[in-house]
Amino acid sequence: MSVKEVDLKQDPACTTGLSNYLWSDHPDENKWADCVHCGMCLESCPTYEITGQEQHSPRGRVHLIKSVAEGKLAVNEQFMDPVFACLDCRACTTACPADVDVGGLIEEARGQIRQAMPLTGWKGTVSKVVLKGLFPHQNRLNSVGSLLRFYQKSGMQKVVRKTKLINIMPQHLVDMEAIMPEVKEPVRKKYKNENVIKAKGDTKAEVSFLTGCVMDVMFSDINEATINVLTRNGNDVTIPKNQTCCGALHVHAGDRETGRKLAKQNIEAFKDSDKIIVNAAGCGCMLKEYGELFREVDTEWHEKAEEFAAKVEDISKYLHDTGYEKPKAELNTRITYHDACHLAHGQGVRQEPRDLLLNIPGVEMVHMPNSDRCCGSAGIYNITNPEMASEVLENKMQNVPEDVEMISMGNPGCMLQMAMGVQKQGRNQKVVHTVQLLDWAYQKEDGKKEGH
Amino acid sequence: MITADLLTGLQSFLPQDQVIEGGKQSHPLGNSGQVTVFPKSEEEIASVLKYANDNGKTIYVEGAGTKKGFGGLTESADILLSLAEYKGIVEHVPGDMTLTVKAGTCFAELQDYLAQYKQKIALDPFVPESSTIGGIIASNESGPKRLGYGSARDAVIGLRIVYPDGKVIRAGGKVVKNVAGYDMNKLFIGSMGTLGVVSEVTIKLRPLPKYESLILLSFPEGNFEQIRAFAIKLLDSMMEPVSLELMSPSLSERLTGKTRYTLAIGFEDVENSVHYQEEFVRNIQPDNSELEILIKEHAQRFWDNFYSIAPYPAAHGGSKETNAVLKIGVINLDVLNVLKESQILGDSHNLLVEAHGGLGHGLCQVNLKGAGEDVVSAIHEVRDAITKLGGYVVVKHLPFALRKEVSVWGDKPAHFFMLEGIKTKVDPNRILNPKRFVGGI
Amino acid sequence: MAVKGIKSKDKHIINLANIIGDARSILYHTEDLIAYDCDGFTLHKHLPKAVVFPKNTQEVANLVKYCSENQLPFLARGAGTGLSGGAIPLNGEVIISLVKMKRLLSVDLENRRAVVEPGFVNLKLTNSIADKGYYYAPDPSSQYCCTIGGNVAENAGGAHCLKYGVTTNHILGLEVVMPNGEIVEIGTNGIPDAPGYDLLGLLTGSEGTLGIVTKITVRILKNPEAKQTVLAYFDRVEDGSQAVSDIISAGIVPAALEMMDKVAIEGVEAAAFPVGHPRDIEAVLLIEVDGIAAGLDEQINHILEVCKNRNVREVRAAKDEAERGRWWANRKTGFGAMGAISPDYLVQDGVIPRSKLPEVLNNINKISEEYGLRIANIFHAGDGNLHPLVLFDARKPGESDRALAAGSACLQVCADVGGTITGEHGVGIEKREEMRFVFSDEEINAQTDIREVFNPHNLLNAGKLFPMPGRCVEIKRDLKEKEAAIS
Repeated sequence: MSVKEVDLKQDPACTTGLSNYLWSDHPDENKWADCVHCGMCLESCPTYEITGQEQHSPRGRVHLIKSVAEGKLAVNEQFMDPVFACLDCRACTTACPADVDVGGLIEEARGQIRQAMPLTGWKGTVSKVVLKGLFPHQNRLNSVGSLLRFYQKSGMQKVVRKTKLINIMPQHLVDMEAIMPEVKEPVRKKYKNENVIKAKGDTKAEVSFLTGCVMDVMFSDINEATINVLTRNGNDVTIPKNQTCCGALHVHAGDRETGRKLAKQNIEAFKDSDKIIVNAAGCGCMLKEYGELFREVDTEWHEKAEEFAAKVEDISKYLHDTGYEKPKAELNTRITYHDACHLAHGQGVRQEPRDLLLNIPGVEMVHMPNSDRCCGSAGIYNITNPEMASEVLENKMQNVPEDVEMISMGNPGCMLQMAMGVQKQGRNQKVVHTVQLLDWAYQKEDGKKEGH
Repeated sequence: MITADLLTGLQSFLPQDQVIEGGKQSHPLGNSGQVTVFPKSEEEIASVLKYANDNGKTIYVEGAGTKKGFGGLTESADILLSLAEYKGIVEHVPGDMTLTVKAGTCFAELQDYLAQYKQKIALDPFVPESSTIGGIIASNESGPKRLGYGSARDAVIGLRIVYPDGKVIRAGGKVVKNVAGYDMNKLFIGSMGTLGVVSEVTIKLRPLPKYESLILLSFPEGNFEQIRAFAIKLLDSMMEPVSLELMSPSLSERLTGKTRYTLAIGFEDVENSVHYQEEFVRNIQPDNSELEILIKEHAQRFWDNFYSIAPYPAAHGGSKETNAVLKIGVINLDVLNVLKESQILGDSHNLLVEAHGGLGHGLCQVNLKGAGEDVVSAIHEVRDAITKLGGYVVVKHLPFALRKEVSVWGDKPAHFFMLEGIKTKVDPNRILNPKRFVGGI
Repeated sequence: MAVKGIKSKDKHIINLANIIGDARSILYHTEDLIAYDCDGFTLHKHLPKAVVFPKNTQEVANLVKYCSENQLPFLARGAGTGLSGGAIPLNGEVIISLVKMKRLLSVDLENRRAVVEPGFVNLKLTNSIADKGYYYAPDPSSQYCCTIGGNVAENAGGAHCLKYGVTTNHILGLEVVMPNGEIVEIGTNGIPDAPGYDLLGLLTGSEGTLGIVTKITVRILKNPEAKQTVLAYFDRVEDGSQAVSDIISAGIVPAALEMMDKVAIEGVEAAAFPVGHPRDIEAVLLIEVDGIAAGLDEQINHILEVCKNRNVREVRAAKDEAERGRWWANRKTGFGAMGAISPDYLVQDGVIPRSKLPEVLNNINKISEEYGLRIANIFHAGDGNLHPLVLFDARKPGESDRALAAGSACLQVCADVGGTITGEHGVGIEKREEMRFVFSDEEINAQTDIREVFNPHNLLNAGKLFPMPGRCVEIKRDLKEKEAAIS
């Protein structure tokens, strides 16, 4: 957005005195001031589509968040429900004529709720164990990864499935278990002794790579593919050692404090980088929004955060913008493309990955209607709101063409969720990351060359 | 005696020459009055209504009297209110393309006037040279070009209505888009004057087409499947016919000289576009059909003849035969069934039947001519058939004596209580056009 | 059988929940209800008693019957995008939300009609039949999310109603739940001119005060063979509005003829769908003609000639469908876009005879100066339907009231030149008092008389559409006297 009547908006709010937001870093009044309640966002919202209820719509949520600031509502369970039912998919931001940052408001409101009402019970456990205890700690994640590898390789998986041990797990965890990717060695482990992974051929540029926490454990082959594709196209790749989880899941969950902690660590870790490449849309979007975290708290970090954010780029957009070698080998496959919310709505990256795919010889792209509709993964939403997530997924799967061999996308969360959809519907489709397809095409090309 | 009182009463506020004693009581179409009044101003209309309302008198309202045979179960009301003297253009703003006119103004005269400005009222009622605009609105008259231009409910943007108690109510306004308050215009369009007397009409105009032509496509074999298939093809194309009217062989014979089912397909646009569409029709013209194109004045002449086919009062001479006109509404393509049905009807009841209907809008008109009892039994039969199609039959024209033997409007609809409620609210003493409308309203 | 999971002791809530048989289909906590305290018109707010989500006509009828028998005020709501406050529960109504009734029931292309439930979204109808080359003509700017039921209630218009008419011109049949709970069908089978008063016409645009529509038969149209869209930039508003008049007088019937002024351009260009309008022009016209391809060039040439005669600075034709789409997205999100240059706006909806355009725009300008508020104009110039957008900041004390007064003054200007106060947004709460600009007391009573036939106890959407009558004052006085007597 270019022109804004900044002077109009910086007037003191007459509502502040009544506000029921009691903690610092409260939802930004300027964000909701843009909302004129026109309702153009309604149909873009997956949770409104399912419930038909205003409080589960972007406009409704903004209205509620505003009502708390006006002192009409308290921060309580009833307020929490709609705010946490949001998928944070950002489709409303795309639909909004006034560019209202609903996602930002939701995250800020979640921050307030989490401070007012710390999580308890099973969700609290998940949050504590997974978000705080696991994601920020690469070695612990790796251990989990190893366990999973053990689980899959040792035959335990078969045993669990056969012995019906699986029957005592909650249904949504059973569904998740069924589609768990085969876990390989993380790239950070693999390249831990290399400062720079050199470009194949001449070096054109140097980039840093955020490997992502879960990504590197669960989807290390995608990270591998990303490195392959980058080095093949003349990029020296570094993997800064002190990098950590991006914090998206924490911020989505309202834990902005941890979010800030992780952000600071990453900002430090990447301070010497000119370009930061991400292959997970959710992480990319978060990194680009680090500035928001320091709007009110630790403001001395704000500028650094903005500088950091400006260097972040999704792999597909980076390749597209800087030029890359079009593969020559044919893949001969029918695919469709799903727009990850945090790529399409969050970063405005839509056409670039499609171009990457279409430039692979033999790839036939089948149109997916409503391709930028959320799949329901939304970070750990599918763990915390399983019912809604599964309805969102069901709606999504109705739009996924049946006559394709692969479904390509740019976010690991979506990949797990979509794989679950494929599994549930008994389909036989491979869920892949865009960059993987490109890597395979290169490999095939090279294989041919070597064969000759 | 009573008539004398009436005369005195009315003459107390109307000039003598505007109040005429009866005379037409014995009109075979009924809907006459003991006394006929010719108000020349809205105030006069209002005072006649107020007088009737205060004194428990009934009123029939008429313009040129072309719909005398349309509804009404009493031969004569106390007062026949004629709007024949309440005429003239109130306001025409060519740049706004709107026209306000008094209800008694003759439709054809209006069109002639507007033609100077290359504008028109986009309605094509029957007998335009006698019909008044008020009568057309009150009876919701429309013709084949409804397909392209819509009907009165689409054209009328404002009305002035004199209520039974004499107050004057404005509905709508002078602008082409208006949602202030209820859309009261709609209540009065087609209400057969049972709610109030429309005194002034404001209509949105359309430009006269730059060019027009009419394709007469006739089907010697009378194969309905073929006609249907053609109609579907044309309707599914992007062509924009203003009419797609199917005529029975008898009607076609009268208008074109060919005793065949014939489609009258009208195109009105800039010349290039009209020719392009003619070409399109030529290209999809079914085998064994015959195609004739009438352009400009020739097309207009055809339509002029078309609009005068109905047996209206002026044509009601000394003939012993009974004329009836039915308006039949069905789902668009069922028009084919209506035409088929009316053909059979003519043969089985020994009637001359002329029928036509629009395949794009579902409204048909069937003219019957023959012995009175045959006409009546034919109406019953056709109504049974149409009811099965989910449609309706309204008897638009029938001598008074026979109107009691058929139900002019058919059975009361399930929501009749609402219609009744509206009537009771607006005209509690039931002075206006009593029993002339649905369910005895 | 009682529904489980209701955490309310209010017997009405429990009974309503039992009628719809599902605890998730009723909202009654303040935190949920607050999202329903207004619609697209935000200057009045009031909490509903409850919001219920029926799934079929019978449930609607049962709910209505219950409300009617228990004297509970109630109203129907669709997507809540209305701009005049028609769905605001002024009296603490039970809101019957129809968004769960959102099926497309049937499409009959041969007879050019479709049957939808009221919660079906306007644009989805066109999207469902687009592959066959058909569309649903009324296209309010909110068509991405507004429901057809709401369109019927408001008699919604849109950019293309200049040529194709508003909602009422496209409604063939309705199934309606009357305020007493009775289900009636009007316009059986969608056949036109059904015998009887034109209740279809009366109900369409009655702003939900006469009944609740539960099924709608609409006319669908075949796509025009071709469309041409042109942008014309003018250095003077007068030239732009004269060009509008000239185009209409020349006997051209454009499919759409839209205008935006300088402030409006600033808004749309600052918002989500900018198209690069020059920022120093005073008026832009968006003109679209459609129909048989062979005839369009002649019309476009004529339009270009008219624009040149009116000193147009630049005229551009859309290169392709994508560009045309961008222009329309820019125009159709125009209201919401005002959020980008102003925290709040109030949109008015006056209609004037087209020939008065220059005069009226001039007067609106004066109002802007007089009230010290910026007014953007985005409107359907072709049919004289103005949308002055009064920009204000509700957080500044007194500014909301000033905006309301300025809006009202704009409507007075429209009424004074023989126009009306609303062309497509409806009266709702917003323009109740302004009804007096165009109707006498007798005329308003004639309308409320009709309401009494359908809605005798005024439980359905009371307080909308008509100015507060003197009678009400009397009733209030009676009540006060009674209260006084009791105490």
